[in-house]
Amino acid sequence: MATVAHDAGHAHHPPKLIYQQALPLNNGKLFMWLFLSTEIMFFAALIGTYIVIRFGAVVWPSTHAVHLSEPIGAFNTFVLICSSVTIVLCFEAARVNNAAGAKVWMALTLTLGCVFLGVKGYEYTAKFDHGIYPAYPRGPIYERPDLYYGSGVRKRVQEHLLHYAKLPPEQLTDKGGKPTEDGEKLAILNQLKDKASTSDPTALVNLAAEIYPLPPSGSHEHVHGGLNETESWLRLPIVIPGGNMWASTYFLLTGFHAIHVLVGLIFFAIMLFTWKLDATCHHGVENLGLYWHFVDLVWIFLFPLLYLF
Amino acid sequence: MSDAHDPKPVVHLPGSPHADPLVPNGEHGHHEAMHGGSHGIAKYVYVFVALCLLTTCSFMTYSEAWPYHDRPAVGRSFMLIVSSAKALLVILFFMHLKYEAAWKWVLTVPASVMSLFLLAALIPDIGMRVRRYSEERRELLGTRTDAQRIENASAALHPHEDHADDHADEHGAAPAHGH
Repeated sequence: MATVAHDAGHAHHPPKLIYQQALPLNNGKLFMWLFLSTEIMFFAALIGTYIVIRFGAVVWPSTHAVHLSEPIGAFNTFVLICSSVTIVLCFEAARVNNAAGAKVWMALTLTLGCVFLGVKGYEYTAKFDHGIYPAYPRGPIYERPDLYYGSGVRKRVQEHLLHYAKLPPEQLTDKGGKPTEDGEKLAILNQLKDKASTSDPTALVNLAAEIYPLPPSGSHEHVHGGLNETESWLRLPIVIPGGNMWASTYFLLTGFHAIHVLVGLIFFAIMLFTWKLDATCHHGVENLGLYWHFVDLVWIFLFPLLYLF
Repeated sequence: MSDAHDPKPVVHLPGSPHADPLVPNGEHGHHEAMHGGSHGIAKYVYVFVALCLLTTCSFMTYSEAWPYHDRPAVGRSFMLIVSSAKALLVILFFMHLKYEAAWKWVLTVPASVMSLFLLAALIPDIGMRVRRYSEERRELLGTRTDAQRIENASAALHPHEDHADDHADEHGAAPAHGH
């Protein structure tokens, strides 16, 4: 926008234009809102694609089949809501020149953000331990208990057997002729090799259930006791119908959200340790707060979509 | 550009911050409207309590007390309404859009509309993808029947006895070892 400066003495001259900001907000806030506009499109694309993929899928695993915990998700939602309150209180304190108070609220926000990331890391670790992750050219998740799955189990068993083939016999049995720990593992592997060598569909279904049991659909219970859990060294392929697409979308959505949380935490740390956080910099706190609220906003939609749908 | 040596009377054109009809109090006039000392902080506390209550409402759909487990569409609609209400509270009060002038729509509405276009564009291509799958590809797809057969076999192999650790899923994953 421009302001016209009138000059009575030089009426024949064209008016001088004094340029002013077009929107009634400071440059930093304008930048942040423009950035958030791009972020709206970015996350709307991710979430929208997830919804379209999810409801267009032939089958989608239940949350308990992929070891998602609703209480943990709800806890993380609570943590982010708390952090939204603390950052807005930080802004309030900075606005009235209460730098000490602003620092406390900023430190609290930083802590809550770290808690959120810690819980997310814990959840990720649990998924990885169960063999639930996307990988190239393929992860350990199979879509069906078919011949390809049997072949995948055999391949993994063979990898283990190659290791045990190198062991001397005395390491497999003790002096009394009883099998050692390695000997017991070898017995398990030989049993699995036989079970995976079948082409009987029912036997392959039972093998899939033995390695990675699935809870009844609609159930609120997690099933434990699969071979991958009791004999975690095996790390065998598992069957989760729809599991590959679930893993791709889950890690993509939560991963990008976690990256945004991490970026926010970095800026929180910079502000906390290098800024005064008094009235002179309350605009900066406000802009970072806007970003953080947006991160909270995204999680508000991710939580029900990923954990409760 | 402004001329510092020659202070002249200025005429504010429509659209300048001082004369903007959208901003009666000027650029930061909203601060006076939105913050009233302890009253402003109390407002944030109310919003926080409302957000916690709404999160509990979402979580209710997971509990046994939720009466519509057999009709997932009811629960999903409920959760989306609750999430939208939560988002509205955050946007209006924490992001201060309730107190900002109409410029906020210039920045947010186009982005939101473009997002809806994108979503609509994905439906025929991605949402309906399985309708165009070949028979060969369908044979590799996991189906609800596959899941049902594994669930039945799991129930037979691993009968659920201990309800105490129903939700201890994250602890259930034993640490992975190699050889």
